[in-house]
Amino acid sequence: MRRRRVLQAITAFPAFRAPAQYLSPGQAAEETPKLRETAPDGVAQPKTRFLRPDQLAAFRNLAEILVPKGPDRPSAVEAGAVEFLDFLLSQSSPERQALFKNGLDVLNNQSQKRFGKPFAQLTSAEAKPLLEPLTRPWTYHPPQDPQERFLREAKEDLLLATANSKPFADAMSKRSRAAAGLGAYWLPFD
Amino acid sequence: MKTYDVLIIGSGAAGGMAAWVLARGGADCLLLEAGPLFDYEKQRVMKAVYELPYRGFNRPGRFPHITQASEFDANLWADEKQNPYSYPPGDPFYWVRIRAVGGKTLRWGRASWRLSDYEFKGKDHDGYGENWPISLADLAPYYDRVEPMFRVSGRNEGLPQLPDGKLIVDESRDSLSVQRFIAACKKRNIPTTKPRRATGTLASSYNLLLPEALESGNLTITPNAVVREITLDPKTGLANGAAFVDRRSKREYQVSAKIVVLAASTLESTRILLNSKSPRFPTGLANSSGVLGHFLVDQFYVKNTVVAVVPEARGGRGGRTLMGGGGYVPRFRNLDRKEKDYIRGWAWDFGSGFTPPAKYLPLYGEELQKQLADLAGTGFALTTMGEALARKENHVRIHPTLKDEWGIPCLHITQKYGDNEFRMAQDAMETAVELCREAGFEILAQHAQMVPPGESIHELGTCRMGHNPKTSVLNAWNQAHDVKNLFVVDGSCFVSAGVQNPTLTILALSMRASEYILDQKKKGLL
Repeated sequence: MRRRRVLQAITAFPAFRAPAQYLSPGQAAEETPKLRETAPDGVAQPKTRFLRPDQLAAFRNLAEILVPKGPDRPSAVEAGAVEFLDFLLSQSSPERQALFKNGLDVLNNQSQKRFGKPFAQLTSAEAKPLLEPLTRPWTYHPPQDPQERFLREAKEDLLLATANSKPFADAMSKRSRAAAGLGAYWLPFD
Repeated sequence: MKTYDVLIIGSGAAGGMAAWVLARGGADCLLLEAGPLFDYEKQRVMKAVYELPYRGFNRPGRFPHITQASEFDANLWADEKQNPYSYPPGDPFYWVRIRAVGGKTLRWGRASWRLSDYEFKGKDHDGYGENWPISLADLAPYYDRVEPMFRVSGRNEGLPQLPDGKLIVDESRDSLSVQRFIAACKKRNIPTTKPRRATGTLASSYNLLLPEALESGNLTITPNAVVREITLDPKTGLANGAAFVDRRSKREYQVSAKIVVLAASTLESTRILLNSKSPRFPTGLANSSGVLGHFLVDQFYVKNTVVAVVPEARGGRGGRTLMGGGGYVPRFRNLDRKEKDYIRGWAWDFGSGFTPPAKYLPLYGEELQKQLADLAGTGFALTTMGEALARKENHVRIHPTLKDEWGIPCLHITQKYGDNEFRMAQDAMETAVELCREAGFEILAQHAQMVPPGESIHELGTCRMGHNPKTSVLNAWNQAHDVKNLFVVDGSCFVSAGVQNPTLTILALSMRASEYILDQKKKGLL
């Protein structure tokens, strides 16, 4: 009985309705079907337009180091987190935009000074001293040091953008619906 | 146009309860709600987070003050561009609103605690502020009826600071981690109890109050009606209705009623009164005392005061026996004697069995992932809720130029926490750390930083009750001292905040005031 109620509740949401059977023309004329849709991320490559190419390359390597691929989960790069955050930054406040742009420039400068090559070409081991601020203990208030603040926020955003991606959901969907990031979305009202 | 017996403004906990009592009691009621009427079947669809335009991050800048809004429910919360307000530079107030039939009961946390005489008679206890004009004995019969309506579950403990209720008894077994924390509390005579929460799929005015009120045949609900002001009959000095604007078309209307019940939520009700100026009340309706807008209070929150790890649960060894569940520590400071360097007190919500967020771990990469896997389900955390004292300088007033989308003047909100609150927060953190250590937990993070005023969504006061018309706006029946057919039944009537979540008390007060209205009507006194 309880199971039936749960199933009824699930099927009440259009996304969970059983696929429509072929209907006769007469029946189809009387029905208002729910057509399946796919978000743009699932069909096309998003364009990047906020970070400069050198910043984007540094960000991509940072993403690979902070959120690498695991045995049962995609990396941040595979999850398209870098392209997504480039888009999100393009609509963010000027302060946040500056935090990320400056933070990536600092990584590139530090890398050039120490290794004579851009951050994008560093291995995880080489990058370690540059990412040292991430090994400092958590504080409630954002750190005073802008580079530490940038790295902390980049880490948080990359983790979330990865966890909220389709590749991650596909990898997790074997566990549960919640792990795949399903929720009730409230449509806009007039 | 007809004249209604009662005009109710607002449809959340307070307005929904007023409609439930008054319409079923035979009064011809009109309920105006500023927002739309949602159709739950049509308004929600299941989506995966990656299908949302902002991948669950929300559009940047959309809700600078509503930390509770997710991209899933973003369309439910009041848009700050349409509904602006202001605060002094450097002292933000986070005003969290839902404008829709059902109000904030569409999204409340459901915690349902009674206030005690430590709150109602707080001045008698420690000399600070004002007493309420009512006591627990006055409100208890209404709490007794509201709790079963909202199917509140919990456990009675016989504590004077946390009065017992008519509850669905929660007999669930505590996990071992929760038992360890409770044992550490017991050693110090600190009380604990089960969470006390309204249950059901939706515990809202939307499903528990308004349908029955409509069934009576005496209730008309008009959504999308943004009230501009309550109007006054200059001859009688009584309220005679309200002017409102249609939210979508911006068309102006006037409605007539014999009695007005204001239940638009704490600050919206006060805003309507302050905007209802007349030669008789040049500073706002029913404001002969000058107190309207003052004594804004809430409960300060220190979210995740302490985040700890239960070491035995590491590596997936937790399971339901060791981890899971939670509870509540009611106020225990300054009850029988003055303790510490502050007055009043605070409470904790605690929970067990979550995975500590990555931000607390000073790691990245594979090492972070390994640590997160090791810590899965091992977390134990406490959040502090403390009483912010009532101070006259914490107030709202009408902004001289700022107006909302409908041309209605907006609020300027001033609320700051003081030394008393800061000392409480510090004590709460230090005590939480000690108890977690005594329970054998590893402390991962600790802090005593309060969220900005308003963020708890427990803003209260600004139209307070009292016996003295010179120091209060409403009498003991939520009736305006100055205008006898005007009642304000939401959280704005509170004299002090306490530490308990306020919705249950708002429901009980609205029920009590509404039954008083029926009684007075019957006697021909209204």
